[in-house]
Amino acid sequence: MDGRTFFRAFRGGGGGKNGMSELVRLTEVTKVYQGGITGALNGVSLIVEKGEFTAIMGPSGSGKSTLLNLVAGLDRPTSGSVAVGGTDLGKLGESGLARFRRDNIGFVFQFFYLLPNLTSLENVLIPAQLKGSDATARARELLGQLGIQDIADRFPARLSGGQQQRVAIARALINSPTLLLADEPTGALDTHTGDQVMELLGQLNRDGQTILLVTHDAKLATRHAARVISVMDGKIVDDARLESPERAASEVIRVRSEEASR
Amino acid sequence: MRAIFIKTLADLRRRRLQAMVIFLTVLLAMAAGTTAVTLMSQTRDPYQVAFEKQRGAHLQVAFRPNTDPQLIQGTAATIGASAYGGPYPATNIQFRFGDRKFYLDAVGRDNPGGAVEVLNITSGRWPVANDEIVLTRSFSELNKISIGDRLKVTSVAQTPTLTVVGEVVDIDEGSADLSSQRAWMLPAALPALSTPDSSFYLMDYRFPSDPTGPQLQTSLDLLKTSLPPGSVAGSLTYLLIRSIFNITNQILTGVLVAFSVFALAATVAIVATLVTGIVISAYREIGIMRAIGFTPYQVVEVFALQIVMPALAACLVGVPAGTLASQPLLANSSHALGLAYTPTFSIGLDLLLFAGGILVVAVAATVPALRAGLLKPIVAITKASAPRGGGGRLLRLAAARLRLPRPVVLGIGDAFARPLRAILTLVTVLLGVATVVVAVGLPRSFELINNSETGAGSYQVVVTRTSAYPDSEVMRVLNSQPETARVVAVGGQNVLVPGVGDPVNTRLFRGDTSRLGYLMIAGRWYSAPGEVVAPAALMHDAHLKIGDSFTGTANGQPLQLRLVGETYDINNLGHSLFMDIATMASVTPAVVPFLYDVTLAPGSDVSAYVRRVAAVEPDLLDVRASDTSIIAPVKIIDLVLLILAGVLALIGVGGVFNTLLLNTRERIHDTATLKALGMSPRQVIVMVGASAGLLALVGGLVAMPVGLSLHHVLNDVISNSAGNETPPVAYAVFNGYELVLIPLLGVGVAIAAALIPGRWAARTNVVEVLHAE
Repeated sequence: MDGRTFFRAFRGGGGGKNGMSELVRLTEVTKVYQGGITGALNGVSLIVEKGEFTAIMGPSGSGKSTLLNLVAGLDRPTSGSVAVGGTDLGKLGESGLARFRRDNIGFVFQFFYLLPNLTSLENVLIPAQLKGSDATARARELLGQLGIQDIADRFPARLSGGQQQRVAIARALINSPTLLLADEPTGALDTHTGDQVMELLGQLNRDGQTILLVTHDAKLATRHAARVISVMDGKIVDDARLESPERAASEVIRVRSEEASR
Repeated sequence: MRAIFIKTLADLRRRRLQAMVIFLTVLLAMAAGTTAVTLMSQTRDPYQVAFEKQRGAHLQVAFRPNTDPQLIQGTAATIGASAYGGPYPATNIQFRFGDRKFYLDAVGRDNPGGAVEVLNITSGRWPVANDEIVLTRSFSELNKISIGDRLKVTSVAQTPTLTVVGEVVDIDEGSADLSSQRAWMLPAALPALSTPDSSFYLMDYRFPSDPTGPQLQTSLDLLKTSLPPGSVAGSLTYLLIRSIFNITNQILTGVLVAFSVFALAATVAIVATLVTGIVISAYREIGIMRAIGFTPYQVVEVFALQIVMPALAACLVGVPAGTLASQPLLANSSHALGLAYTPTFSIGLDLLLFAGGILVVAVAATVPALRAGLLKPIVAITKASAPRGGGGRLLRLAAARLRLPRPVVLGIGDAFARPLRAILTLVTVLLGVATVVVAVGLPRSFELINNSETGAGSYQVVVTRTSAYPDSEVMRVLNSQPETARVVAVGGQNVLVPGVGDPVNTRLFRGDTSRLGYLMIAGRWYSAPGEVVAPAALMHDAHLKIGDSFTGTANGQPLQLRLVGETYDINNLGHSLFMDIATMASVTPAVVPFLYDVTLAPGSDVSAYVRRVAAVEPDLLDVRASDTSIIAPVKIIDLVLLILAGVLALIGVGGVFNTLLLNTRERIHDTATLKALGMSPRQVIVMVGASAGLLALVGGLVAMPVGLSLHHVLNDVISNSAGNETPPVAYAVFNGYELVLIPLLGVGVAIAAALIPGRWAARTNVVEVLHAE
């Protein structure tokens, strides 16, 4: 399976704007950090539809990861509101947010964040077990679909980066989340492995999974995402729905040059 | 050096909570240890000081009244005594004060001074008239009798009244709560108070240097051979008196030393865990330190100093606190000995303890800190932290099989993720729980033994008659009371036992003794004339074992006896014999009981019974409810045990808390990931709590047999110090449910201690933690 095939399949099967419904809504979201952590958001409004593969792009400190954290309910906005699947996250307490993440969100991190003292299978099972459900069969099925069924009993320390990220993806999918969040999922991988992971995400999207991807790699974003949102200094500076790879490339080039001129 | 201090102080500020844990554990350990060592080192001195000051008698001998006083006086030269006092005429008197009656040995002396047994008058004056009496301060304080009080002597028909004119401290007798007491009158006053069977002569001997036990025995044997047979009625050595004076502090010292070692071991475990944890989590920091010029030695210094500094503060407080804590006990000893209390401690010893405490902590901190010094800078700086502990997998799998909730499974795995840390934590839990087991068990063992000595639960009233009131009348009065269910009459008569120097006191029973509550250690209670039961000390000294027959001597007559059982009895430190009165009657037909243990029918009003029987013959009968209260030294030991259990339990909690803090901090990244995956704050707390619970459960389960063994050993040590072996029932003082409840309580406390790190982990800011990666 090569990247182009994946991309074509996406273009064919992802569907257009028609037939989609709203999944994520950010309304005038502002986030100010007092601890010196950069990446504040400044009045961001955004809607993500179900089934979309959206890439959020921007340089370091632009606020893209903050945006992802707010959507995941890991952080709270200073002002504005974040709603996912119709649920206003601001109205949920810590436990409510935990349940929300468990039920609705799958998270793939740049550095995988597998628990080192659990095997691959155990890592995948964790979110399901936190819900109190036994999903061993589904976990094995996911590992099989991701081509890593043979490493089920291995500990993370004995896995390659690509294998670790596949395990992380399986873990993110175990509860069949409505939204898969991926924060620089290829950032810690070599190019080849990174491509494989992105193809995997693309395939998932073709199967109907809504994905919100944070990356600073324009090439990756345009190859797999149908929509690329560019963030700069806490603001959305561009929101491009890509209809063809050519358009995608030009859009990205435009955005990059704007960034450079700032 | 300055850089090291600056870095150390900065680290201390950052790790305030851990510094506090170290401070508290070292403080508690050092305070307990200092109390023990101070008691141990200072206890012997006050007795020795008082003994010299009051020219105490090395040997005291009681002679029968028909012995020639001139002959008695001559014995001093016979046995090589350098000084002597007496012979003093003496008689056993009973007197009444208020509604209570007491027995004392009244000794006739012209003055309180002399070459031996100088009496230290602490208040009042020496008698100048025949109706005046001086008591020991110990006796006055125990029975609340003051100078000026009037005592009605009931042991003679004339019932004269005596006025208390003074209080003295006598170095040659034990305190009133543990020993019978003497009183002093003018020699001319004694004949009016004496009866033929209550009089004797008392003689004090002092030798040029402190003799040993065998030397005293040789002197006594020599003395006996120089007099007509049967002249010696009894004897006492200064060694026994000293034991009685020091017994409380001796037992306390043993207990304190044992638990101080515990506390120190727990502290070492906590320190080692803490330093290991700090080093593990500070790889990058160590790398940076090395990169900017710290030598390996300086790195070790920084990590060790972080522990030594709070330990230093703890020792600065703990050593003086321990010295202070020992003072009330030492003041108590000084008071009993008639010495003016002056703070008793040794600066040198305190400094030694201070240095020792610091050294132990420093070594415990330095050994794990060496790991930091030995790290290669590049490895440290690139790895950021030590590889995560991989232990606990089997436990996690087992817990998963039990279908426990996932947070519980994860917590259980975390508990043993670092096996060494887990083991060190278990040690602290073990010591804490084991001490609690001892603190729960020993008072119960004491109570059981106390009950056997006081008849608690067996008889409710004790009646004592004077010789003027016949035994048959007492029995008639008692049996005529409707509430009387059973009367056991008790007499006494000294018996000479081969191999034992002093005459042995016997308890001669008439009636059904099967339910008097004496604790049997081996063999059986006597069931026929000629059979006797004895405590361990007598068996040991007389080289007797159960089943042995031996010939004693009573009233100069041979008495055939067979030992059928070993019992517990602290009177005379285990030198007594129990038998049926018929056994003694075969050689001393005149022996009759003087004391009556009365069991009342259930539901009887004990006070009403006591009042009614006492009213029958107020002067000649002493009737009182059986005193089942615990004696003061045992109360002190119980209290100290309770405090020690609290201290060790606190240290145990500190150990668990410390480990959880390290674990949660070390696993903060994993916790953040779990939270990102949907673990709720409650589940995080459950996870940390499960970790604590498992450590406490395992520690508690291991601690139970350890605690029970320790309870066993301490029981033995204490029983042995009183001349006995421990009765088996004194070991079995725990209910089955308690053996489960105590470790479960430990689990509860540990889980409560886990709340702080648990809540801290639950509040982990996922974004900050993962962002910082």
